[in-house]
Order: sequence, then structure tokens, then C-alpha cells
Amino acid sequence: MTTLTSAARRRRPINWGRVASWAALVLAIVVTVGPFLWMLRTALSNNHALASQSSSLLPADFTWGAFARVFGLQSQAQAQAEGGSGASINFWQYLVNSVIVSTMITASQVFFSSLAAYAFARLQWPGRDKVFALFLGTLLVPAIFTALPNFLLIKNIGLLNTYLGIALPSMLMTPFAVFFLRQFFLGMSREVEEAAMLDGAKHGRIFFQIVLPNAAAPLATLCLLTFIAAWNDYFWPLLVGNDPAIRVLTVGLGVFKSQSPQGAPDWSGLMAATLVSALPILLLFVAFGKKIVNSIGFSGIK
Amino acid sequence: MKKALGAVAVAAAAALALSACTGSGSSNQAASGGEAKGDISYWLWDANQLPAYQQCADDFHKANPNINVKITQTGWDDYWTNITNGFVAGNGPDVFTDHLSKFGDFVKNNQILALDDAVKNDNVDLKQYQKGLADLWVGKDGKRYGLPKDWDTISLFYNKDMVAKAGLTADQLGTLSWTPQDGGTFEKTVAHLTVDKNGKRGDEAGFDKNNVAVYGLGLAGSGSGNGQTEWSWLTGTTGWTHTDKNPWGTKYNYDDKKFQDTIAWFHSIIDKGYMPKLETTVGASVADTFAAGKAAINANGSWMIGQYFGYKGINVGLAPTPTGPDGKRASMFNGLADSINAATKNPAAATKWVEYLASPACQDVVASKAVVFPAISEATDKAAAAFKAKSVDVTSFTQQVKDSTTFLFPITENAAKVDGIMKPAMDGVFSGKAPASSLTDANSQVNALFQ
Amino acid sequence: MTTTSVGTRKPARRSTESDGPKRTALRRGLGDLRVALLFVAPALVGFVLFYLVPTIRGIYLSFTDYSILGNPVWVGVKNYVKIFQDKLVWNAMGVTLEYVLLNIGFQTVIALGLALLMYHVAKSTLIRGVLLLPYLVANVIVALLWFWMLDYQIGIVNQVLQWIGIPRVAFFGNEFWAIPTVAFVNVWRHMGYTALLIFAGLQAIPGHLYEVANLDGASKWQTFWKITMPLLRPVLLLVMVVTITGSFQIFDTVAVTTQGGPVNASRVIQYYIYQRAFSQQDFGYGSALSVILFIILAIVAFLQMKFLRGNENDLS
Repeated sequence: MTTLTSAARRRRPINWGRVASWAALVLAIVVTVGPFLWMLRTALSNNHALASQSSSLLPADFTWGAFARVFGLQSQAQAQAEGGSGASINFWQYLVNSVIVSTMITASQVFFSSLAAYAFARLQWPGRDKVFALFLGTLLVPAIFTALPNFLLIKNIGLLNTYLGIALPSMLMTPFAVFFLRQFFLGMSREVEEAAMLDGAKHGRIFFQIVLPNAAAPLATLCLLTFIAAWNDYFWPLLVGNDPAIRVLTVGLGVFKSQSPQGAPDWSGLMAATLVSALPILLLFVAFGKKIVNSIGFSGIK
Repeated sequence: MKKALGAVAVAAAAALALSACTGSGSSNQAASGGEAKGDISYWLWDANQLPAYQQCADDFHKANPNINVKITQTGWDDYWTNITNGFVAGNGPDVFTDHLSKFGDFVKNNQILALDDAVKNDNVDLKQYQKGLADLWVGKDGKRYGLPKDWDTISLFYNKDMVAKAGLTADQLGTLSWTPQDGGTFEKTVAHLTVDKNGKRGDEAGFDKNNVAVYGLGLAGSGSGNGQTEWSWLTGTTGWTHTDKNPWGTKYNYDDKKFQDTIAWFHSIIDKGYMPKLETTVGASVADTFAAGKAAINANGSWMIGQYFGYKGINVGLAPTPTGPDGKRASMFNGLADSINAATKNPAAATKWVEYLASPACQDVVASKAVVFPAISEATDKAAAAFKAKSVDVTSFTQQVKDSTTFLFPITENAAKVDGIMKPAMDGVFSGKAPASSLTDANSQVNALFQ
Repeated sequence: MTTTSVGTRKPARRSTESDGPKRTALRRGLGDLRVALLFVAPALVGFVLFYLVPTIRGIYLSFTDYSILGNPVWVGVKNYVKIFQDKLVWNAMGVTLEYVLLNIGFQTVIALGLALLMYHVAKSTLIRGVLLLPYLVANVIVALLWFWMLDYQIGIVNQVLQWIGIPRVAFFGNEFWAIPTVAFVNVWRHMGYTALLIFAGLQAIPGHLYEVANLDGASKWQTFWKITMPLLRPVLLLVMVVTITGSFQIFDTVAVTTQGGPVNASRVIQYYIYQRAFSQQDFGYGSALSVILFIILAIVAFLQMKFLRGNENDLS
């Protein structure tokens, strides 16, 4: 990287390619951020005034009401007066549920997937490549196949409306996680492992003391991606965890969507809810993002 | 290799076992009498009605301390996904809000309990409901599968300011007439309420139909095969009915000239610029578009009253739908009911709760919240009074019921498959891609489902 | 799928050699089987329970008449015969293909561009974070948001178009625009995420190669095609396999917005399967469609692997 910067410095001061590059980057940022500003504008609006002020760029009848609704701080009458549904929202409970479920999924899935990925990348056993191909093949299985039988299975083992029931199907593996980590392990230098092997270290020790610490960056990246996916999942938690006590955020905030045919959503509430529920991941990203993004290094992914 | 095959066989057997454990119980009559106690779950979809039913549940618990009702609310789309999966898994709610378009399939697959014994033993008075509502819930087998909870009809919601600016009165809007040939005074009114970018009205010379600022009549969509809020309030005035008989018809009438002429008329006012093009209606709801001042009139259902009158900065009026060639109005009459899941572990308590939901005690509570019209005639009057107290005059909805100008929601089997055929077919006609006569072909596809 | 040919053979052999001579013969045949089984076991359980069994069940159901609520009845290949006569299936295939081409085409090119910009122009974590923002929002919400912003009559985008003098567009309602719009919405959500993955791959390319190219007087264009692209291939493989297989399964966005319309213009295959299987309770037919989709995807994935030859990094 350093060589590249110096190469760049050698160039002439006015560089039209560079101007064009920045223009493209700015455009990408505008296109990315624009809708978020519109979300914020909507979240600060009175839902009942949104339609009549659809061409204004400022919040329609500015109010914090939508955020109050999200946190369940608005009385039912107040909520309905501002275009909310009036159903009660137990925001903090949903938030806790989401954190629990997403953490369970992330920790467990990344750990078990890394075990499997190690076996696929580093161990030598008959049928290894075939089994791996099978695992990869699950990327192709339409979700419609799996939803119903998995629902039945969770129900039959008595896990409906439990945290474990929501988390279990993605706790043991996902094809993406295994694929992702295997690619990394394949690329990692073997020298240290081999030295340890000669010292008589067992695979378990090598895995925990050498491989995992060396793969910290990709593991962190995968954790973040898994957490985001678990956090945003909607359909499955709705099926198995619709009980109000167990609802995760995405399901709980469904009250802001249209409730009856022909109805319109509570746009202000929905946007406020979306911003608020994206916040925890954003914080996570701010906390770890720098490390993750800068050191992802697919160093020799193969 | 052999081992692998064995594993596959085991997996397959497990899969079969899984898929086989779906059926339902033996007796499909709801229990009445017996000891009613324990917890029961109740599902509904409309969050606006949740407070009313929560109060019903609390009152019910006070009267029956041994029974706890736990209510779960889920929005419309997710609601039916959850109901279906609940049936498959044999858990689902004990009692749930049922819809006419769905209950036929539930009956066919023995998923819900018949209520005849309960009605007989507990002397539920079926005459207390608005006429026809109770009979909607009698299945093809002659058994009763739901007790009515509410009903809805169609009216015209209009923008009072636009109407006043156009020099029209509420009386004029309340006495419109329509024919499929020239659209009658209804089309004239709609044309007059349409305004283009230059301020020219739809019935003035020089009207620019390609640059319309306000449409006389809003459009929600093509209405698929049902057209409840889209076109059924006009097709109903021509003497046309969806099916050969209702409920449980086995032949649809989309090949009828009366129907096709009506749909062709709708397309004609789109062509004239009085109603938005179909492609422009995909997005925000028709009500939001109305509130944005893009349409002067919307035809919509009584369950939307709260939505329309809630908008800020818009002055909403209500008018009955126009009279048709036979001089009468028409509105689809749709109702919801509560049904009992056949897989309930507590049929006695569930039955008691359904009966309570269908009783004056609960329906008066619902009426007092002024959200929907309860099924019991007297509760309907109370609801009308409650609406009045919120300064909403709902006569245009209740009048159709009083005058018996309603026709029942068409109930047949294969409802979802009919929708699958009719949605694209109607889209084609409304968007002008196909002539109204193309519906004859769609109709034969629909009727083939019943052979 | 032949992703796996890279040899871990060497170290493995060495490890067996380091073992006592007694077990060597046995270990030669089975390798690290016992350890491997231990490592793979949890994932394997998850794979069998939550993927394999449902898939086999789905394949079985594709030979039945099954309404979800009732019991399946064996009907042989009837569903498959029906599929070949069903015009909507072929329409759905065409629509889905159009979507995949637009989605993957734009997404990959834009993401690659952004990754190069991130790498060469703006090495700011903030910019990377900002570009990842859309991915933090659930796809159903993203779909709803755009559905509303792109509304013909009251959407802000059309309002802006009007301000700058461009005629309004019925993004979701027009037969021509429906699929490109759905594709755009998903490109918007995924471009930052994809760019980040590619960016990570770029970081892995040794800087001295660029220096050498520079000294040799290679143009930027040549450097890009001769050095960057070949070395990026392994990452591109991962990205392409995941995004293309995901792209074929487009469902949520359509379900939330156009629901297949106008007429049949956006009735993508997954949505059609959903309609047949769940809405119309013809689960057997839906399953048969899924099996066919599965086979098609498998072929696509196989060709991709062959074509991209992702395993052969030009460095090693």
C-alpha cells in the first residue's frame, strides 16, 4: 500500500481522473445517504400530514411523536391522532429479545462454522470435498423448501416461542459462513501450524491457539455480517416467535406496517423505528468497524 | 455409498413422518357445556381494533375468572401466513378473526369447528345480527363456522373543499346516477371535479388529459376478481352478480356483457383523464394519494373511515355510491366472524369466548370505540352514534344496509386461484393492454377450476 | 462443484508422518477422519436437520398433490408435466433472468468501482461505513421505503424529477420499469456491502506488483486487467457465487412492492412459487418449481466455478 501512495504522489498535481473519481464517490454517497435523510424527515413528521405535504423537503408538521411511539411513550389516543395504530409497543423488551437472539446466532454460528471450515480447509479426510460441495449446495435451496419443515421441527421439539427456537436453525451453520471462513483458512500460512504439529500438538490445540487468533479479522467481519443478518431477519422470527414476550424488533415493529388491506402504513413510525433499530448495529460498527474494515485482508483467499 | 443411501432413506422417512402429522381431530363440532377454564389465545389483524377487543377480554375474564384470553395482533399479510402455518403445525390460536375469502378452504380441510351445537345449546340469537351476516358463515356442508362480529359497506369519500370549489353541493353528490353507456351524472361530476395543470376542468374545452393535477375519481387498482372497493359498487347496480349463486357458487360471470361494459366504462374514464392510469397507482395507498389532493373522490370501505378522517388539512365528506340503471345503489356487504381452531385444546372455553365476542356485551364495547360497525343491529346504531360524536356522519354506509341494497361478498372455493387468474386479466383491461372482452377467456379459465 | 482442489495434501501427509509408524497405514486411508468428524459434526447436524431433510421432503412433495392443510397424495410427474405447459413459468424464468442480469451486472460493476475508489482515492473508514449503511436496514423495509419514495403521484423522487423538468415515471407500475426498479432497489442495498468484500480482496494484492507494473510503463488500464482482475478472482468468485445464487431467489422486494404486476411483468420465479405453494395452496406444484429452480441454479453455479476458475490464484 505504501508503494502505491508514493506512486500516486509522483503524479502531476491536476489529475482529471482523480476529479472524476471523487465525483463518482460523492455521487455514490449522495445516493446512499439521501434516502436516510428522507427517512429522518419522515420520522420527524406527523403521519397524518405526510400525504398533504408530500412535496415539501422539510418534516410535515414537525413532531417527535413517531419516536415516542417507537418507545411506547405515546398514549393510544395520541398515537392515533398522529396516524399511528395505537397498538402498544414494548420497545425495550423487543430490543433485548433481538440482542439475545442475534448474539446467540452470531456466537454459535461463527464458532461451529469455523470448526467445520477448519476441517474443510486443513484436515485430510475421505469425502471432504464432496461434503463441502453439499454444504455449498445449500446456497441454492429455495427458502420455500425449508421454512415449513423447519417450523414443524421447531414445533415438534417444543421450541416455539423460545429464543432457542428462533435461533437454532442458524446456530449450527450457514453455507455462507463455512464458505467464507474456509477460503480464509486456505490462505493462511501453514508454517506455525506445521511447527506445532511437529511438536505433537493436537488439532484441537492448534485450532484454538493458532488458527483462531490468527483469523481474528475475518472472524470479526463474519461476526458483524452474521449479526446484521440475524438482526434484520423477519420472516422466520415471525413464524416461530410471534408471542409478544419473545418478539424481536423486526417483528415487533410490524405494527407500523399496514394493518388491514387497503390501509396505509404509519410511515413516520416505521421510519423512526427503522432508524432506531439500525442504531445498535451502527454503534457496533463504529466500535469495531475501523478494525474490521481495515484489517479484513482476504490475505490470499483461494 | 450404501451408508449414504441409508442416511438419505432415514431423512426421507423423517420427512414423511413430519408431513403426515398434520391432520385434525375427529369430531369437528365445538363443545358447549363442559367445564370451561384455562388459557385461550385469540388472534386479530387490525391494530385499531385491538383496544376494543382487549377490553372485551378483560370484561370476559371478570365474568369468567377461570378463563384467561391472550390476544395477539399481527398485520394482515403476516396474519394469514401465521394462521396457515399454525394449522399445518396444529398449534395456531384457539380463536381467530376469520375472513370470508379464507374460510372455505379451512372448512374443506377440517381446520375449524362447526358451531351449530353451541348455537343451539346456548341459545345464541342469530336474528340479532344484521340480515344475512350470520348466513355468510354457513359452509358448503350446511354447518355454521363462525359467529359474526362486524360488517362493512362501500361509500364515496370526497374532498369537501374541491367539491365546493367546483360549485357542487353535498346533496348533488348524494344523488348521483350512473349508467355503463354514458356514465350518467356520476361521470359528469367526476369530469367536473377533474382539473388539469392549467386549471381547466375535465368537462371544459381545452382540457389537457395528459397533465392532470386532480383526478375526479381515485383508483386503488384493478380489483382482481372481486373489485370490492374498485368496481363492485357499480357492477352491482346492473343486476350482475359475481357467481351463479352465493354463497358457494360454482360458476363465475366475468363473461357477462353487463360486467364487461362496466369495466369498459372504467377504462374509458381513465382514457378521458378523469381517473389515474393503472400504472400510476402502484405505490402509495389510494387514501394517501387522496390526502395529497390528487383525487377528489375515492370509493372505499367503512373500515377506512378512521384513516380518511384522520388526515390533517383535508376536509372529508361522505356520499353514498351512485344509483345504477335499475335506479338503486349497490354495495358489497362483507363481514368478519370469529372461528375456532379445530386443534384447540380447550374447545369449551374457546366456544364461550366466541359467544361472548358475538354478544351485545362485547359488540357494544366495539361500537363505543367507533372503529367498525358491529354485527348486531343495535350495536350498529350505537356505533353510528359514536361516529357522530366524532363528527363523522356514516349514514352513507348504514343506509345501504337499511335499504337492502347490499349484496353479499362472493364466497366460493378456489378463491386464491381465481384471484391468481383474474388479477393479471383485470390489470390488462384497466391498463388498456387488452379489451374488456378478453375477460371472457379469463372467465373460462376460472370456471375450469370448478370442473 | 469443484472449489476444493487446492492441496492441503502436503501438510496433512507430513502430519501423518509425524505420527507413530503403527498407525500410519490406517491413517493413510482415512486421514484425519476422526478429528474431522468431530470438527464438522455440529455443522453437519445443522446441515442435515435444517437443509437436507427439508430439501428431500420438498423433492418428495414435488411428486404429490398437496394443499398444505391436507395430506400429500402421490401423483408421479404430473406437476412437472404441468410446468412445461405453464406459460407463466416461462414468463417467470424470463423475468427472473432479466432481474439477475440487471442486478448482478450493475451491482458488480458499481461495487468494483467503489472498491477501487475506496482503495485508490479515499481511504476513509467513514466513507466505507457510510456506504455500508443501506445494508443495515432490513430488506423488507428498504423495499417499502423505495416503494413509497418512487410513487408516481406523491413520491419524492418523482417530485424531484418534476422540479428538474423530467416527466414523472411510474417506476413500479410500468411494465418496462418494474423489474429494473426492483433491481435498482436491491443494488442500492447491497452495493456498499459488495464493495467492502471486493475492497478486502484488493488489500490482499501485494503492492510490489503494482510498482513493477508501473516501472514497466504499463498503463492503468493494463495494470487493472493484467494484475488487479486476475488476483481479485478468488474474492470475485465468493462474491459472485453468493450474489448470483441470492439474486435468483429474489422474493421480498417483489412481495412488498409489485406483487408480480403489472400483469405479469415482475412475477419472478420465487414469487410465482410462493403464490402457487402458499396463496393457492398447491404446494406440490410449488415444490416441483423449486426443484427445477434448484437444478438451474446448480448448473449456473457449476458453470461459474468453471468459468471463473476461482481456485487458481495466479500468484500461487
